[in-house]
Amino acid sequence: MSDVADATTPITSRHDPRYEVVMYRHVGIDGAWTLDYYRGHGGYASARKALTTMTPAQVIDEVKASKLRGRGGAGFPTGVKWSFMPPVDGRQRLLVVNADESEPGSFKDRYIMEDDPHQLIEGIIIGCYAIQATKAFIYIRGEYGLGYRRLVQAVEEARAAGILGKNALGSDVEVDITVHRGAGAYICGEETALMNSLEGLRGNPRLKPPFPAQAGVYGLPTTINNVTTMTSVVHIIERGADWFASMGTEDSKGTKLYQISGTVVRPGVYELPMGATFRELIYDLAGGPKGEAKGFFPGGSSTPPFPWRDEFLDMPMDYGTLANSGSMLGTGGVIVIPKEKDIVDAMYNVVRFYAHESCGKCTPCREGISTWLPKMYQKLLAGLGTREDLDLMEDMVRNTRGTAFCPLADACAMPVQASFKWFRDEYEYLVDHGTPMYTKNDWWEA
Amino acid sequence: MKVTINDVSMDFAPGTSVIDAVFAAGYDVPYFCSQEYMSPIGACRMCLARVGAPRKDREGNWILDEETGEPKIFYFPNMMATCTTQVMEGMVVDTLSDDVKRVQNGMVEFTLINHPLDCPVCDKGGACELQDRAYEYGTGESRFVFDKRHQEKHHPLSEVITLDRERCIHCKRCVRYFEEVPGDGVLDFIERGGHTYIGTLEDGLPSNFTGNITDICPVGALLDTTSRFRGRNWEYDHTRSTGMDDAGGSAIVIDARTGRIERIKGALNPEVNKTWIDDGTRFGHEYVDADDRLRSPLVRKDGELVPATWEEAAQVVRDRLGGLSGKDIGIALRADATLEEGVAAKALAEALGTGQLDHAPRPAASVVPQQAPATLTDLATADAIFVVGDVTEEVPIADLRIKDALKGVTPPEMMAHGVPIADLRLKEHPVFHRERLSVAAPYRVDLMKHAGRTASYPAGGEAALFAALQAIAEAQDAKAEDAEAAAVQLDDGQRAALGMSLADAEALVRGLREADNAVVVIGGFVLATRAAAAAAATFAKAVGAKQLILGPMANSYGLELLHVGPSHDRYAYPGMLEGARALILSNLDPAQDPDVRATLEQKDFLVVHDLFLTETAKIADVVLPARSVYERDGTTVNLEGRFLPLQAAPVDAGESEDFVGVVGALGDALGQRLEGRSVRSARRVLRKRFELDPAELGPSGELYRPKGRPAPRVSIRSDEAVGGNVLVTPSMLRVEYLERNPHLLALSGGSRLRVNPADAAQHGLGDGEAVSLRVGGVVRRARVRLDAGVPAGLMLLPTLPEQPVGLAHADLATLTRDERELEVAG
Ligand SMILES: Cc1cc2nc3c(=O)[nH]c(=O)nc-3n(C[C@H](O)[C@H](O)[C@H](O)COP(=O)(O)O)c2cc1C
Ligand code: SF4
Ligand code: FES
Repeated sequence: MSDVADATTPITSRHDPRYEVVMYRHVGIDGAWTLDYYRGHGGYASARKALTTMTPAQVIDEVKASKLRGRGGAGFPTGVKWSFMPPVDGRQRLLVVNADESEPGSFKDRYIMEDDPHQLIEGIIIGCYAIQATKAFIYIRGEYGLGYRRLVQAVEEARAAGILGKNALGSDVEVDITVHRGAGAYICGEETALMNSLEGLRGNPRLKPPFPAQAGVYGLPTTINNVTTMTSVVHIIERGADWFASMGTEDSKGTKLYQISGTVVRPGVYELPMGATFRELIYDLAGGPKGEAKGFFPGGSSTPPFPWRDEFLDMPMDYGTLANSGSMLGTGGVIVIPKEKDIVDAMYNVVRFYAHESCGKCTPCREGISTWLPKMYQKLLAGLGTREDLDLMEDMVRNTRGTAFCPLADACAMPVQASFKWFRDEYEYLVDHGTPMYTKNDWWEA
Repeated sequence: MKVTINDVSMDFAPGTSVIDAVFAAGYDVPYFCSQEYMSPIGACRMCLARVGAPRKDREGNWILDEETGEPKIFYFPNMMATCTTQVMEGMVVDTLSDDVKRVQNGMVEFTLINHPLDCPVCDKGGACELQDRAYEYGTGESRFVFDKRHQEKHHPLSEVITLDRERCIHCKRCVRYFEEVPGDGVLDFIERGGHTYIGTLEDGLPSNFTGNITDICPVGALLDTTSRFRGRNWEYDHTRSTGMDDAGGSAIVIDARTGRIERIKGALNPEVNKTWIDDGTRFGHEYVDADDRLRSPLVRKDGELVPATWEEAAQVVRDRLGGLSGKDIGIALRADATLEEGVAAKALAEALGTGQLDHAPRPAASVVPQQAPATLTDLATADAIFVVGDVTEEVPIADLRIKDALKGVTPPEMMAHGVPIADLRLKEHPVFHRERLSVAAPYRVDLMKHAGRTASYPAGGEAALFAALQAIAEAQDAKAEDAEAAAVQLDDGQRAALGMSLADAEALVRGLREADNAVVVIGGFVLATRAAAAAAATFAKAVGAKQLILGPMANSYGLELLHVGPSHDRYAYPGMLEGARALILSNLDPAQDPDVRATLEQKDFLVVHDLFLTETAKIADVVLPARSVYERDGTTVNLEGRFLPLQAAPVDAGESEDFVGVVGALGDALGQRLEGRSVRSARRVLRKRFELDPAELGPSGELYRPKGRPAPRVSIRSDEAVGGNVLVTPSMLRVEYLERNPHLLALSGGSRLRVNPADAAQHGLGDGEAVSLRVGGVVRRARVRLDAGVPAGLMLLPTLPEQPVGLAHADLATLTRDERELEVAG
């Protein structure tokens, strides 16, 4: 067993000496979450640079030039998003940081908030300045207890030190941060549901338009970004857009925090330039699969999985390539599926998650994803399924594709469809024999 | 914007939803979550269609299809919810292809997997949107073989609404309704995913407008408890009529079966109530079917009232009146009589030669303003509203229209298929612009929770309130003309009269005069004295606001317009009770006051026309069975001056007649063909008088705006109520019928005497105690309700037709525990 066996050791970036660790450089270091530590390592220089030497428009231009794409999953260009904010008109403007990180396979934001919260605060100061917001919310996943406490502590420290407040970093720019804890709903990571939840409403997604920039939280102009989108900005301002844009592919620039979990030797978070291949991540950094693997989710449980084939392993991990190959980069959370994990059981696990997390607003997700689909899996796994059931499942899942209100239903339906595409033999084996093709189920003991 | 729906191309205004475009083009898409007058939310996904649109290139030119040379249509990758998609120039919508059909089949299947399909025992069967849509757009088969979701099937959301949680299809109409229409957020989804269900907080549904959710629920999940399990939809006779519980004039549908009213639903009148009605109007019909309803005339013989035929009764009336001089006879109608009944009463008075004619209750001041009143649409589009009174109880529908104004969305344009199904200007969780609304009342009224400014002035101080506001308006005028003019100066008395800070009052006045459309809503407290009403009118004029006057009963406006009034002040209703030797009273019960009863017992002759053997009927010589408001054909005029039709539902009411029938029978006995002997003949009079045809009113009724002088004012009785220790308040619920409306009785807990806790302690009254008390002479029974919102030294009691809104004196010596314990069901 590797060095990750000890559950108390945080999973941090284990990197290849070829690549510089930027966003995760303080992660895993005891005490790195204090202001003293952060400042002692050059912290807040980037924010100071933005506030004292650049105009908000210049910050936005710099971020645009860096070609940074949002790290929350959809990969929307961040600078462009910021420029959607309406002209200043006296209304309160808001920045919301999406720290709800609830997708199975994603855990990159967590360690930044736990071990390096000041890096996020610094990113928020820059972001607020760019979009001319004086107020930011961090919406943090409810289960992230340690992260919540560290963030609150860091915000208080920063406030006491004059880094946040009416005169942030001694400038005439006002920035303040409220840390808001979620209550355990994956859907609240979807930006419009997040806004509802933040307002104290039920966590259901809202209609778009209006987009958050037009009418976001409390109807006010709002920009929503992921945690590591914000921390990327710290380094873009510090080192320049050219530095960031010099890394990555034509489609996706800079570095990104990739996560890898499942049966690999060294699961964890790895910071790599965009466009590194899955093979590099899985073999060079994570030490390769333990035992035989048969497939992997490329970017979190909502991205359609691939079979274990060279064409997929050698695919560069960037937004466009993945989108063109029928899957998505998502949050960049690779999950390796071992050969002996029965795919039906594995997918049931995924489906149960989405069934549990469906908000219940729209019919295909509430009835198809949340009610019917898990029952079909239960039927199969009980050995009661038939070939007709498989056809039925495919047809029913097709009816949930692209018909739901928000992407959550698709996030379940697409991986299920992919599992049928690549691993139908395992489904067929199960319905023909009444027992799964593989029955090994003791991964945590290995 | 040009849009092509299947094979039909049409032009639409920007902002139109695709679903409305589809319907306007004559095609259909199924839908569940969209609802007229509410925000579209795109939740049910039933309305999906394939939608495409042309695109422009960077230079702004349409990208052309290489083959056809026409702009190329780019289809959206996913099916679009047509309810939440706006039309675009050149858009193409396909609702008929196999792809669309497949998705529709799938969505019907999803919607049904957890639905119990208990249509055979469901009240909604035959009128169910899910049933219809499943039939039209489903495959007729389900592939779902598992246990369905089991949830509560008879969950009482309140005494009047029952929720079947299994039938719910999660369209969210009911939740949005409460948030968006009355603005009382009392319902929401609980749990999530497949476990989601509808629920309330602990205190049920505290709102005057709860029943509307039973109209808009697309399935049989929310049902009107008063009619649950009482009939199938196709067995009902549906009669469209007008609600007569207040002066709003809401359109209703009366559903009757085998001669009995089973339920009342809201109907569409875009100018008045849209489709909403209040709970009093909806649930307050059960009294009509009470066991003790009079079904035939009664005539006193040897001291006993015994059944008689109409001919016999009419003979008796003729014989007994024959001995009296005309001027000794008084005739009075309750103010929810129809215009036709008013014509009949006038004809009878003329035939008998009496000027003692009136309708009651009639406030001291006129309910027909000198200038044309505001319309409800004016109210709904106003940018500044000042309410004095408790509009939520007086004319509940006006409360809802005020909330339209607070939401700030103008009424939608009608489309070929009617009200837009998905008006994209309406948003979920709307912002209510409370700064547009100011509310003043002597105690805390419900609408205050939506008001940016509130004032609690001393009860009876309406004239002083308006005078003080007028002083502010004049000072502001002076200031506008001359910047050097003194700032507003009010003495202590005037300041106290405002019931709010001077700064608030100044802002209120300024807000009204600076508004483009300001409305002052004048409630019954103001109408209780002529001085207050005059001051209100002067003030409204000074700030350039229209007036909306909340008359006490459904046809107060019309009966005043028609001048169903006395020839002289002393012949008005209270005077005739004293002075006349014979009385014909329709639906009035003055003998609830024992002193009046003693006077009435001395009369030579008393005829009572009513539904029940009231206190007054008991001492009458002749009792004539009356038709309820649901059993009359006729015309009423609401508070805007809008003529609205009443149609009689097919109800078994024995030999009941309305006052038109009474006059017909008496005319026959007198050998005279009186005008108003029938609805037709009465309408001939109305046509001449008002130059509009009551038989031909449009679906929204007709606004009556006379060209010449305003209508003649009715002369008014001179003794105005001033001072008192009880404030008689408006009430949505009709107290006179409350004990015969078992569901409303249970919902409301009966008639309430609201007392300040300190006063209650002093009088030794406990919360919930049943008491009896003489208020202004009238014996009232009520249940004590301790309420810190009631000013000290004042008790609040809901109005009766015999006890008009305003201050009254109660003799506290008569306050006793009620030995007859009010029966409160539930
Ligand atoms: C069901 C669902 C869950 C999501 N959860 C998250 C999340 O936990 N964190 C996150 O940053 N974005 C999440 N997103 C994406 C957000 O909606 C949004 O696109 C993102 O926060 C934008 O930030 P970015 O531009 O910085 O990527 C989720 C989206 C969906 C549909
Ligand atoms: S797809 Fe529908 S039910 Fe599922 S989370 Fe989104 S809105 Fe809610
Ligand atoms: S999604 Fe329900 S009507 Fe459009």
